[in-house]
Amino acid sequence: MKRFFCLLLSLLLGLLVSADPDYKELLNLQPLNPASLLASFNFWSKASLQSYEQQHFKYIPRSLGQILQHAKTRELHLRFSTGRWDDESWGARPWGGTKEGGTGVELWAWVEADSDSGSFARWVTLNNALSGLFCASLNFIDSTRTTRPRMTFEPTSSVSNTSSENMYLLHGTLPREVVCTENLTPFLKLLPCKGKAGIASLLDGHKLFDASWQSMAIDVRSVCSEDGSECSIEMEQTVDMVLDVDRSKRPRDNPIPRPIPSEHLHCDISKPYASNEACFPSDADLGQSWTIAEIFGRPIQGSCLSEDSQGQLRDSVCINVPLDREVNPYGDAVETKNEAGSGRCFAIPASKPFEMVLSHIGPQTFNDISQPPLYASRSFTGHGQERGGVQTLLTNPSRTSSIEFVYFETLPWFMKPYLHTLDARLSTSSTSSPEIIKETFYRPALDRRRGTQLELLVSVPAASTVVLTYDFDKAILRYTEYPPDANRGFDVAPAVIRLLPVEGQAEVYIRTSSLLLPLPTPDFSMPYNVIILTSTVMALAFGMIFNLLVRRFVGADEVEGWNLAALKAKARGRAMALLDRVLRKGKEKKVQ
Amino acid sequence: MVIDRRKAILFTSAAALRLVLFFTFPSLPVLLTGRVEISTPVTSFKRLQEGLFLYTHNVSPYDGGVFHQAPLLLPLFALIPPSLFSPLTAILYIGLDLLCANALMHITESGESGSSRLFTSPRKDMKWDSIAVASAYLFNPFTIATCIGRPTSVFTNCAILYAIAQAVSGKPITSMLALGLASYLSLYPALLLPPMILLCYDGKARETKALPNATFSTATYLSVFSASIAWFLHLSKILTGGSTAYLASTYGVHLLLPDLTPNVGLWWYFFIEMFDSFREFFLGVFWLHLGAYVGALCIRLRTQPLFVITTLLGIFAIFKPYPSISDTSLYLAMLPLYRHVFPLMRYTFFAMATILYATLLGPAFYYLWIYAGSGNANFFYAITLVWSLGLSEIVADSLFAVLRDEWEVERPEMKGKDVRQI
Repeated sequence: MKRFFCLLLSLLLGLLVSADPDYKELLNLQPLNPASLLASFNFWSKASLQSYEQQHFKYIPRSLGQILQHAKTRELHLRFSTGRWDDESWGARPWGGTKEGGTGVELWAWVEADSDSGSFARWVTLNNALSGLFCASLNFIDSTRTTRPRMTFEPTSSVSNTSSENMYLLHGTLPREVVCTENLTPFLKLLPCKGKAGIASLLDGHKLFDASWQSMAIDVRSVCSEDGSECSIEMEQTVDMVLDVDRSKRPRDNPIPRPIPSEHLHCDISKPYASNEACFPSDADLGQSWTIAEIFGRPIQGSCLSEDSQGQLRDSVCINVPLDREVNPYGDAVETKNEAGSGRCFAIPASKPFEMVLSHIGPQTFNDISQPPLYASRSFTGHGQERGGVQTLLTNPSRTSSIEFVYFETLPWFMKPYLHTLDARLSTSSTSSPEIIKETFYRPALDRRRGTQLELLVSVPAASTVVLTYDFDKAILRYTEYPPDANRGFDVAPAVIRLLPVEGQAEVYIRTSSLLLPLPTPDFSMPYNVIILTSTVMALAFGMIFNLLVRRFVGADEVEGWNLAALKAKARGRAMALLDRVLRKGKEKKVQ
Repeated sequence: MVIDRRKAILFTSAAALRLVLFFTFPSLPVLLTGRVEISTPVTSFKRLQEGLFLYTHNVSPYDGGVFHQAPLLLPLFALIPPSLFSPLTAILYIGLDLLCANALMHITESGESGSSRLFTSPRKDMKWDSIAVASAYLFNPFTIATCIGRPTSVFTNCAILYAIAQAVSGKPITSMLALGLASYLSLYPALLLPPMILLCYDGKARETKALPNATFSTATYLSVFSASIAWFLHLSKILTGGSTAYLASTYGVHLLLPDLTPNVGLWWYFFIEMFDSFREFFLGVFWLHLGAYVGALCIRLRTQPLFVITTLLGIFAIFKPYPSISDTSLYLAMLPLYRHVFPLMRYTFFAMATILYATLLGPAFYYLWIYAGSGNANFFYAITLVWSLGLSEIVADSLFAVLRDEWEVERPEMKGKDVRQI
């Protein structure tokens, strides 16, 4: 019997060892146009739910795992982003926008709890813990910044149905948060190699936060097999950035850009004013050639972990350029061609630095950027600090099919939208079309307690632009509620757009840029003056009225007039009486 | 018949003027609705529309920070078909103004202002007739602006005027019901209850030519008033689906001032700048201050309860939490009833100049602060101080005139002589 158990145990162990890889990392480099390069770092790790629950952590970091366990969080998505994705020139977003956040910090999680209030308490716990872990102001996600979206997010975990009943989705944003190095350092510390080796060695605050756009993402979810017998926890850390190639290649010791001598200038001759005298500098025919060290400041410092038990590589770098372009890795990196035909991947050798050159020899071509399924831009209309409007332009570039998506907005409570003014129309017509908005979920704001939550199910016909507008009022706050530098304005979180998945396609997320809302400000320097002046006016009115009410009338000639001589005489009389009394008292004392 | 024809001409011309303003300048109602001097967070027509939209779409309007008005307004406006919403509301508001004028004419014709049950002014023959008083109301620019701006305070004003009109014509029950409606709509008219009870009692006594039992009448009036309030609150509870959340969102806003949108009153800037730890204390002080006048005026001017009400309306127009020029227009509607004491007022020029100055500079300074950015909040705040001072000058001066008038009954020989107060 005992031997049988031993046999079973060894079999199980063997099974565990031969299971899927538990850690992978991948760097995907994609030149977007001659001027910019998209670098996507992806770190993926996995652990069985059993070992996770027993606090046996290997590649899933203990610090994060324990926080999630303490706050009973089943699925977590945390985003740190800066900059704006320029979809006119960069095309569709990496990962379909699913690993991207709005400007600042965005967090959403499924929390297990018995009730709404219980889930909020756990959410606060989670935010406070993550705030400490990531050096971000996540603890400022209070009830005014928390929403419970209905249609915008779906859990990616495959959790059994029974436990999904008491799962609560909470979503919070901090659009004002400035993402910087102090957030990157704890992010890298969660990796098994702490950014010392592997592709993470390229992640340097100077480069990452110098990018035109960057987004750091952490996703934790649990995945179960079909029959639900075997569950595991998956964690993915992603960093996407769009680098300006010229700017990145500028040497660090001489970072000041110098004017290009005129003989080296490339002119864009497609401009109508192009002539021998006028030159519009163009980088279109420059092409892109670089080495990893030129772009990131250093080569990759060898692979992070050695090959796993199956001999599968954990570390690889892919570059997404046409196959006729020359890409040369240094040393003995193994090249594997992508099935799609446009990508080449290289395995990173275990202990040697890895370097790669995108050559300037040969045709300087790029892969076509893919068209995003929707263009969205949001802006404020109107002027003045009293009221305004929001206008969102949603363009469907497809010539054949209409598109359906969820438009999700959270607004701070001091921005008071009027839902009866919400209007959707096609840009070609001036009257509203009621068939554009199919469904509305609206939860109005409560002063100082809750923000506005607006979710719309919108459908945009093929090759057309929908204009979505509504009016709002700007509230004026108590003077202690304004942040430092109140006249800068308040940040309004980006709108999140979720394109509903059509069959066979993954869902796509798009976020608009955040908005800056100027509010009317009081004069911060004079609380005392205001208290004094208002009180004076009230005292004047009170005094005037009660003076009339309590005193009685007499004729002016029936009382003593206020002439000076009478006053003097009266004062003298009083003074004499007082003097007399004092003197008499003194005498009495002497007598005693 | 002559009077009737004059009344018809007056009402037609007032209605025509408003109709012209509504329909030949379609942007004027929108512009005036957005003015902070007319629309306050508790009366704004735009907020009413938002509340109505939420109400008709099955979202509770009281579970939000925008709509703070009484629930009974919602089904009333929901009756108006959306396709004809703006013309029909225009007609509704014009009708309300005419109703107010009608009530004012009743009050004037009763002669209560010149000679009440306990006091007859020696100057009562100088008073204006009802047409003059009504036209002073209907053609007051503040009234017209209020009508075009469509705040719901017009309903309150109308209810108050009706309560007074019913009280002076000896119908205390309907008067108390109307006052109950006014208090239900915007809370502060509840402070008018003591003088209104006195007025009802006097009106009843004059009507029946006999003194009713004071305790019994007071108890009756009080119970009618509380019953009407209870009935309105009960109706509201049914309308809002059985929840009492609307109480905090309507009366709570009057009491606690969470919305600090600028207006012509003194509260908003004071509570923006107030230190957090003292906010509750000063809210209490401000409400106490508002209530402090009621008792004192009732006792001192027992003989003229109508004037107590007039003065209180003036005080509310200055010191209530969310005042607007619609409250001022109500006070200025009541004031011409005391035309006979105007010659006794001392600072009319100063007060009128102050009011005019504030009226002209207020919008300009608001523009400088909010739109041009070349002024700051203190500009508009200073103008609200001037406005309040000017109004309190009028209130105090008219009070002086009435007291002097009363005094001259005792001392007829002092007519035209200088007086002093001791």
